[in-house]
Amino acid sequence: MAINIDTVYKQFGALKVVNGVSVDIKDGEFFVMLGPSGCGKTTTLRMVAGLELPTAGRISIDGADMTYAEPRHRDIAMAFQDYGLYPNMTVFKNIEFPLKIRKLDVRERARKVEDTAEKLGLGELLQRKPSQLSGGQRQRVSLARALVRNPKVFLMDEPLSNLDAKLRAVMRTEIKKLVTNLGITTIYVTHDQIEAMAMADRIAVMSKGNMVQVASPLEVYDRPKTRFVAEFIGSPPMNLFPAQIKAGGTVTCILPNFAHSLCEEERAFAAQIVDGKGGLLLGIRPEHLVVAKAGAQGATDALVELVEPLGQTTNIYVSVGDVRFVIVTDRTTAKAGDTIGVVAPSDLLRVVANDDAVVRH
Amino acid sequence: MSNSRILKSSASALAAYALAIAAALFFAFPIFWMVTSSFKSEVDISAYPPVWSFTPTLVNYAQLFTELNAWQALINSALIVGLATCIAMAAGTMAAYALARFDVKGKEFLAFEILSIRMLPPIVSVIPMFIIARQLGIFDTPWLLIAAYALSGLPFVVWVMRVFIQDIPQSIEEAAMIDGCSRFETFWRVTLPLLLPGLAATMVIVFMFAWNEFLLASMLTSQEAKTLPVIAANAIKPKAIAWGLASAAGVMMSLPVVVLVLLMQRYLVRGLTLGAVKG
Repeated sequence: MAINIDTVYKQFGALKVVNGVSVDIKDGEFFVMLGPSGCGKTTTLRMVAGLELPTAGRISIDGADMTYAEPRHRDIAMAFQDYGLYPNMTVFKNIEFPLKIRKLDVRERARKVEDTAEKLGLGELLQRKPSQLSGGQRQRVSLARALVRNPKVFLMDEPLSNLDAKLRAVMRTEIKKLVTNLGITTIYVTHDQIEAMAMADRIAVMSKGNMVQVASPLEVYDRPKTRFVAEFIGSPPMNLFPAQIKAGGTVTCILPNFAHSLCEEERAFAAQIVDGKGGLLLGIRPEHLVVAKAGAQGATDALVELVEPLGQTTNIYVSVGDVRFVIVTDRTTAKAGDTIGVVAPSDLLRVVANDDAVVRH
Repeated sequence: MSNSRILKSSASALAAYALAIAAALFFAFPIFWMVTSSFKSEVDISAYPPVWSFTPTLVNYAQLFTELNAWQALINSALIVGLATCIAMAAGTMAAYALARFDVKGKEFLAFEILSIRMLPPIVSVIPMFIIARQLGIFDTPWLLIAAYALSGLPFVVWVMRVFIQDIPQSIEEAAMIDGCSRFETFWRVTLPLLLPGLAATMVIVFMFAWNEFLLASMLTSQEAKTLPVIAANAIKPKAIAWGLASAAGVMMSLPVVVLVLLMQRYLVRGLTLGAVKG
């Protein structure tokens, strides 16, 4: 079911947590809200769930206004970071609970519980209590409880963040497969960019109560619109260089060789950034920089400060005067103290707006 | 583990047990003495040195029921304390839930105000209560003591249950609401079962306070609504103390509490160690 969030605000006393968030989530979409802690992503999710009421704005699910509806009337399911299992009930009873509240027939209940448990590999564990399960199993139970009643919308609040790294990767693919197969509209909250990139149909990057950019994972990665997005996504993050736009639309950069052949699309975006002074940055992903011979045609000479061989890739930290940045390449013979040439391919250079810059649309 | 270390650890375990047994004996002895005294005759009680073997008699218990009208007092106590405990538990738990979970304006102040009832020495409130009761025409009826005990138990229930409720992760309740429960259903089906150990522990303590309460009971009753502690005090007669009678009254007063604690034991052990719900 489609979800429509329309200029929603949330304030706790004087604290503004969500500042006018608007977004349309399509039927069957896997929508991820990504951001650091305190950015308002969980509060936004909780408002969709009905666990918090917005200070202003409107939330509708499947066309119906649900802004102030009780959670039980929204036909949503939710998975919590700490699982939210009922500790006094067995796994079976936990999964059965939403069906019991809906007064389904006992045999129908048992059949559904067993089906769902089977799907999530919980068949053997039905008679256990949550305290006798591992973290991964508990999260599976919470997913089963959410899925057993075929909800319209599935909300997930950092469901994997209490699991260890290996299990997290496994569960990530499992959840994605499961939800995609069922075609349920899902809103997923996380602070983990890898999770967001891997699972999302669309990512909303959030900062200070705003959705800074809403786009597909690759779009967010390739064309971050603001400094926050550029620095939050990617590891190591995008290299950013102070730049300026001159009268007539020419963009100049602190590293002159980088700016001279900016593509048309980026130039157009640069023109939209109203506040030219310090409002403009040029960005390029570390893996898009090309290492050349020092002094080569079109290359900028840089001093190698540190080399980090990671096996699959190598991080080269370099400086040009006061400007420091990082290059990700295959294996290299360069070592600290060497001078190398760096080429920034013009089609991969991006114009990025500074966080407080005003962008005209 | 080497031999000397085994010796050392078993020696310290032995010392710990010895200490525990000594402490248990120390605290159990008065109870033992009370129980035996209640079965002794007047002569055996006053014998010096104390007699350890004697012919048990039920004379004190008989006297308790004939002379002091203990049967009526027992019924009064059970009715008054039982009802007062129920009221304090129900009202207190709901108030505690509101204080733990809702955005009540001036919540901390409210909680403190409730606690301040407890700070008032009971003797201060006796006279006003007496006057009010006279006006309302409920003096020497069970209702007066029920109200008084419920009120004095309430702050304790609110404060203790609030901690127990805060100990339950909020996500459990949120999960229930999303699973289709209303607020009340959530409380009834999910929160309350998790609170049982805490409820049991709190209830036993509230019950015991009211069951043993003497001051209010002696001032606010005269004939009809007398409770067990009041009639037990009647064993102290103008000329002498009837030790046998007093002991018998003591045993009778203790029995219901012992039974209650035994019944609740399963919950008590978990309830008295806070945070039993986590995990």
